Amino acid sequence: MFAALHNAFDPALFWEYRVALLTGLLQNIIIFVESAVLAILLAFVVGIASLSRHGAVRWTAIAYAEFFRNTPEYVLLVWVYFVLPLIIGTALGTKVKLSPHVAAVIGLGVAYSGFLSETVRAGLRSVSYGQTESALSLGMSGFTALRRIVLPQAVRRMLPEAVNQLVSLFKSTTIVSLIAVQDIMYQVSMISVAEMRPVPLYTGAALLYCVVVILATQLFQRLTERWRRRGWA
Amino acid sequence: MDGDRPIIQVRDLRKSFGSVEVLRGITIDVSPGSVLSIIGASGSGKSTFLRCLNYLERPTSGEILVDGEAIGPSTAPNGQRTSGASPRDIARIRSKLGMVFQQFNLWPHMTVLGNVIEALIQVKRMPRSEAVDLGRRFLVKVNLLDKKDEYPAKLSGGQQQRVAIARALAMQPKVMLFDEATSSLDPELTGEVLEVMRDLAREGMTMLVVTHEMGFARDASDRVIFLHDGKVEEDGTAAQVFGAPSSERCQRFISSALS
Repeated sequence: MFAALHNAFDPALFWEYRVALLTGLLQNIIIFVESAVLAILLAFVVGIASLSRHGAVRWTAIAYAEFFRNTPEYVLLVWVYFVLPLIIGTALGTKVKLSPHVAAVIGLGVAYSGFLSETVRAGLRSVSYGQTESALSLGMSGFTALRRIVLPQAVRRMLPEAVNQLVSLFKSTTIVSLIAVQDIMYQVSMISVAEMRPVPLYTGAALLYCVVVILATQLFQRLTERWRRRGWA
Repeated sequence: MDGDRPIIQVRDLRKSFGSVEVLRGITIDVSPGSVLSIIGASGSGKSTFLRCLNYLERPTSGEILVDGEAIGPSTAPNGQRTSGASPRDIARIRSKLGMVFQQFNLWPHMTVLGNVIEALIQVKRMPRSEAVDLGRRFLVKVNLLDKKDEYPAKLSGGQQQRVAIARALAMQPKVMLFDEATSSLDPELTGEVLEVMRDLAREGMTMLVVTHEMGFARDASDRVIFLHDGKVEEDGTAAQVFGAPSSERCQRFISSALS
């Protein structure tokens, strides 16, 4: 039984390849941060647009959110990596090639902007219209009311849901090895081939991932504790 | 002549929500320094009327002049637009009208002082230190300076409403609009808010007060109008409207409200 357990998780093997594994994990973290920034920026634009008074703007935003929410991120990733360069290339009349890294950031970024824009939209709608009305009645423009009064409250209410989405995004970064980004899963599969012992490394990668996510969410909880105490998030 | 010009002029104001006509042609002038109470049953259009004045509701037709200036695109009875105020003009005219809401609508993510100075900084572009000085002055006025660093959630309803009044006053508006300012307060908290309103009236602030507080309407206002079904049904001094209303409906409303 001990042998079986040892086969499932072998700290020594894991330690031996620590540099390769941590370099891989760092790749995941970099891709996560870049695609999260892209996703959040797009989500605010799309989320705000989806509540626009103008029908054309509103429907475009809703269509965007629906499309990206309902398309698997794996398909998007492959599409951005293989198909998008062909389209751009044809349009420009030259050969275009996206690096796996850029394709991964774009693919994951747009995929998650769909989910996050729904969170932004729900957060904005949760702030009562009276808040905007009191701002307008004092002579603020609609934009100032949004920026100073509605968004700060909406963002705090979005946080719990947004954190869930970002945890999902971080976990999704493991699929980027499919387009040959040298992330942790890529490293694990390479080493597994060399060592001919896949089980302990995959177990180690799973644990490593789990630890990173738990630490990051705990850190986040601590940082936003003050807001929660005042009942804002 | 300019001194006698009504501060607010309303001509044939109409407002429909879908097929329901809530305001059916209201014409009224409000002279500066006067206190006008607007009474009537729920659904009579009192709040809608007040909200049209600062364009939180877009009138269907009619004309509203604030200090001689048209707010919003006005429409003649034949449906033709006669003038158009830009969003910027609308915002500027709104800042001349302070509004106090039934639900207070304080901003929960800002402190009491933060609520009062926000529009001074964002709208009047006042330097922060100057805004803070002014904000403190108006918090003294509503007797809440000691709460300046609290968040609204920590205050009672009456205190929140007084902060909302200070926030509106800090913009130094020409007219104050009160939209059922005491209706969502517990009975024991209405007194402190009404007291602030009475003080303002004594100081000569022009006030339009939509209220169910018949005591305030009777004692503190120069003029009372009774709205019924989107029209002015009774219009006169407090003594006239409460003492000898000409409309039977108004008479019934007042006797049931005072009992």
